[in-house]
Amino acid sequence: MQIFATFEHSTFIEVAISQLEENGVQDIFAVPLDNRVEERKLFDTIHRSDGVSLTQTGLFLAVAFSTIGASRGFVLDWGPIYWGLIGAFFGFLLGFLFDLVVQRKRIKKEKSLKGKASEVILIINCEESQKKQVEELLWDNLALGVAKISG
Amino acid sequence: MRNFTNTNKYRRYRADVNSFGVVTIHKRNPYIIALWSIAFPGFGHLLLEKYVRGILLIMWEIFINQQTNLNLAMMYSFTGRIESAKAVLDVRLLFLYIPVYLFAIWDSNRTTVELNKIYLLVDKEDARFNSFSINAVGVNYLEKRNPFMAFLWACTIPSLGQLYLNRIILAFFALTWTVLFVYQSHFLEGIHYLIVGNIEMSTNVLKPQWLLYIPSYYFFTIYDAYMNTVENNKLFEKEQRRYLKSHYQPTNFKIRKGQKVK
Repeated sequence: MQIFATFEHSTFIEVAISQLEENGVQDIFAVPLDNRVEERKLFDTIHRSDGVSLTQTGLFLAVAFSTIGASRGFVLDWGPIYWGLIGAFFGFLLGFLFDLVVQRKRIKKEKSLKGKASEVILIINCEESQKKQVEELLWDNLALGVAKISG
Repeated sequence: MRNFTNTNKYRRYRADVNSFGVVTIHKRNPYIIALWSIAFPGFGHLLLEKYVRGILLIMWEIFINQQTNLNLAMMYSFTGRIESAKAVLDVRLLFLYIPVYLFAIWDSNRTTVELNKIYLLVDKEDARFNSFSINAVGVNYLEKRNPFMAFLWACTIPSLGQLYLNRIILAFFALTWTVLFVYQSHFLEGIHYLIVGNIEMSTNVLKPQWLLYIPSYYFFTIYDAYMNTVENNKLFEKEQRRYLKSHYQPTNFKIRKGQKVK
């Protein structure tokens, strides 16, 4: 019996392997996949991040505008804190839009990859009798997909 | 205890997980790093994980800024009161400021370019590195973290984002200055008066010399926390791929050609 499973990168894979070994399943083959370059995202998630998020220019311009805003606030009606916050918000928005325009050209080129990505394939050789146990163990450790091959 | 002892087999290492944090070599944009150095000398170096240089430059900046009333002069200049700006600037130390300021910008930009080259070599060599540390100071390891949570916590009080990443030295450093800046600038008092609707009182209570440190400081700690969460996650993946490839690809493993069953 051979069992295939796919995972995202996380500590769960190593937990799964360790539990399999504890249960006497020793014949394991792991294939980390090279994933297709995916759509660049505005916000990085725990599993996917390309580092080209739209915050890098925004946060810098927030600093610049908020410093000037807070300074000017000392002579303006609303005071330094409101003007500092307005400056920060305006600066962030400006940088965000700038990045959006620049990144959009790249986004268009790359087709989107929706949903979760399989990043690692595990292939496990086990006895017919262990089938159920192994499968449950894989699901419990957040496998994305599992397939069992007879023979 | 560490899970890797240097064998002198490798020329360069990608990262090191130690009690005080995770130090990583990764690609950075030289212009973004230079811009952070413009915002506050030393920030660029902190982003490059050159902590001693960064911390020294930051302490230098605050010292010289306090001595010369630079922030106050900036506030007067931005509000068109040039005469007041001239009057308040202390020229005794002012000219010490400029070369160090420009050096911080130039050096952080140059170092980024150099580190990016080293990154290319490091990535190619793909050497094993220490990825687990446990000792009297505590335990540290690679884990996947949520960049959005890093962003949110960093938005509350500067230093929490660094604490989330177990960047102990930077977290402590950031928190110390945050308390000092907030206290000396009367920032929270200012907010208090805004909440009760007294804008004039709020403006009067704020101290511009200390207040002007806050924007750059606040947004820097957010950027640093977010960027490093993303990079730590990438490091986690690279380390795990390396581990799986070296431990779970036996040459005698055979793929069976059976039927898929339920």
